[in-house]
Amino acid sequence: MNVPVTFVERAHRGIGNRSTAAGEVGARRMMSHRIAASADYPAMEEMRDQARRIRLYALGHLDELLARFSDEVEGAGGHVHFAADADEAIAYIRKVAEETNVRRIVKSKSMVTEEIHLNAALEAHDLEVVETDLGEFIIQLSGDTPSHIIAPVMHKTRQDVGELFSEKLGIEYTDDPTELNNVARHHLREIFLSADMGISGCNVAIAESGSIVLVTNEGNGRLTTSAPRIHVAVMGMERIVPTLSDAAVILEVLARSATGQRLSVYTNIVTGARRPGDPDGPEEFHVVILDNGRSRVLAGDAAEVLACIRCGACLNVCPVYREAGGHAYGFTYSGPIGAVITPSLMGLAEWHDLPYASSLCGACLDACPVRIDLPGLLLKLRRDAVSEGLGPDGLEGALKWFTRLATNPGMWRGATRAGGWSAKLIARQGWIKSLPGRGSAWTDYRDLPAPAAKPFHARWKERQRES
Amino acid sequence: MNREDFLERVRSAIKVSELPPIPEAPPGGLVPDLPRAGVTERFLEQVEAVDGHTHLVGSDDEAVHLIGVLLEQYGATDYLAWAPDHLPVAGLAERLRATPLDAVVPGDAEGRLEHQTGYTDLLVGITGASAGLAESGSIVLEAGPGRPRMASLIPLVHIALLRERDITQSLSHWIADHAEAAADTSNLFIITGPSRTADIEQTLNLGVHGPKHLHVVVLGG
Repeated sequence: MNVPVTFVERAHRGIGNRSTAAGEVGARRMMSHRIAASADYPAMEEMRDQARRIRLYALGHLDELLARFSDEVEGAGGHVHFAADADEAIAYIRKVAEETNVRRIVKSKSMVTEEIHLNAALEAHDLEVVETDLGEFIIQLSGDTPSHIIAPVMHKTRQDVGELFSEKLGIEYTDDPTELNNVARHHLREIFLSADMGISGCNVAIAESGSIVLVTNEGNGRLTTSAPRIHVAVMGMERIVPTLSDAAVILEVLARSATGQRLSVYTNIVTGARRPGDPDGPEEFHVVILDNGRSRVLAGDAAEVLACIRCGACLNVCPVYREAGGHAYGFTYSGPIGAVITPSLMGLAEWHDLPYASSLCGACLDACPVRIDLPGLLLKLRRDAVSEGLGPDGLEGALKWFTRLATNPGMWRGATRAGGWSAKLIARQGWIKSLPGRGSAWTDYRDLPAPAAKPFHARWKERQRES
Repeated sequence: MNREDFLERVRSAIKVSELPPIPEAPPGGLVPDLPRAGVTERFLEQVEAVDGHTHLVGSDDEAVHLIGVLLEQYGATDYLAWAPDHLPVAGLAERLRATPLDAVVPGDAEGRLEHQTGYTDLLVGITGASAGLAESGSIVLEAGPGRPRMASLIPLVHIALLRERDITQSLSHWIADHAEAAADTSNLFIITGPSRTADIEQTLNLGVHGPKHLHVVVLGG
């Protein structure tokens, strides 16, 4: 994949614009909902600890759990396909579509299908693909990409959506969210009931029963998995937990952390296709288990990131995400989790600047329901980038000079004294407002406190003489 | 990639992985310490808190009357209901005053499309529920013979009938007692309020794909 610009360049496009401002308002609101919901639930901290244990256990026993899961899906009459990468996943879904004469496909919101660019690949083969989550539907109509893991159009205003609907769906312009919502309901309802295939993601997979769990608030997840005659679920291979009881723990913390709800409106647990006597439900059930770089992540030192349950809480609290906007991260996953997942999955070679898209303030670790050490992982990735020669320009040289100065007392004293003199020349009332060359990277955005006119060691000496 | 190669790749990754310490035994569920007393009140409160409507009735007669009133209130000329033996109110269909349409239950796969497009105009769906969850104000439903998924999904109004004795503290409590629930049905689902979205400027809207109105009728005693 080509990265047209760096994080900093993409962030510059986002900072201060209307979309990012809308996104920031949304992120702050979701953050307060999460905090209120957590404070309201006495068992929350205990649940978070348990959820973390469950996720780590699952990662450490992933091979066994996937084998069990796959056996159970097949036992319930479903089909399992193990896909090493995006191409294999896409090829399998196309094959199923072809063999079952599928023309129209509905999708419920799924980050993993965004990750493998599934829609474009299917559309290239004359399949009609319609996103059904209201936010994703808006994204699809406008040819945009999501800016938030769970609120994909947080960067759009109601006027944006009104203009889009009137242009693409031929309705009279309105920016009333209720009316826009009704327009989408009617438009999508017909599509749902005539679709041949439903493609969903998978929030949690349950090994002991071969079930997949989907949470949505709108009900499109239930429609996608029930109305069409074929259901295909695409799951990142790390989504699994051992039992239904484990899944319950994840569900308890997921909704509270994502939107501040106690449970999402629809928690949909699907086990195989419809059974004999079932009045409705799909005739075929397929699960695509996707690796796509995950086994490499698991083998690396950022493996803990695979414990993520995709709630988006770390985005909402991140000062960098809120200022720069989700699109600055350049890929499906944004915010602190994206800054770790994207380079881990796709390689540091092209994404080595993302681990620097953080001030390491630690708010993400605080918010994470499964307590993933995101700041620690970001540091590990920075270390990896530097050791692969992919660190920020000039960092190595600067550190070499600093090391030389800091390990030689004579040179250090000379340098600090020189700093004090030069500060006198350029500082105004104790602040340096502008520096030339590389120094401008700092002073373009904030003032630098001027170095003391007299260095610490000189003052220390004076004090000792006085006492 | 075939299954064995895929799993082998995972296995070798785990061996060299730098994960934080892995629990040796499966952690399992965690049932929060919530009091059993007062679950009905808490349940009713929480359903209302997620924009559902609640009705506590003392008898089958009262339930039948209430459902008749609701059908009239929404101007429903027909409704889709679960089969009678899956509803906690005996002989509901026969006992309702005006019932132009009996329980519409889709049949074989052949009839699927016709049935499902036929549902688009349905105003009301009537279902039972396996459990009520007090902590979150949720109802648990299990699809199966005589229990179409669509009855709680397609209509604008969903009326769920629940026995008071089936109300429990929380999802974890229910699952602790029904560990096989996911394996027992092709679709186990938990509904917490009417369908909602806040995608456009985080403005709350009800009924985007699923029902806009959820009525939970609790049969006391």
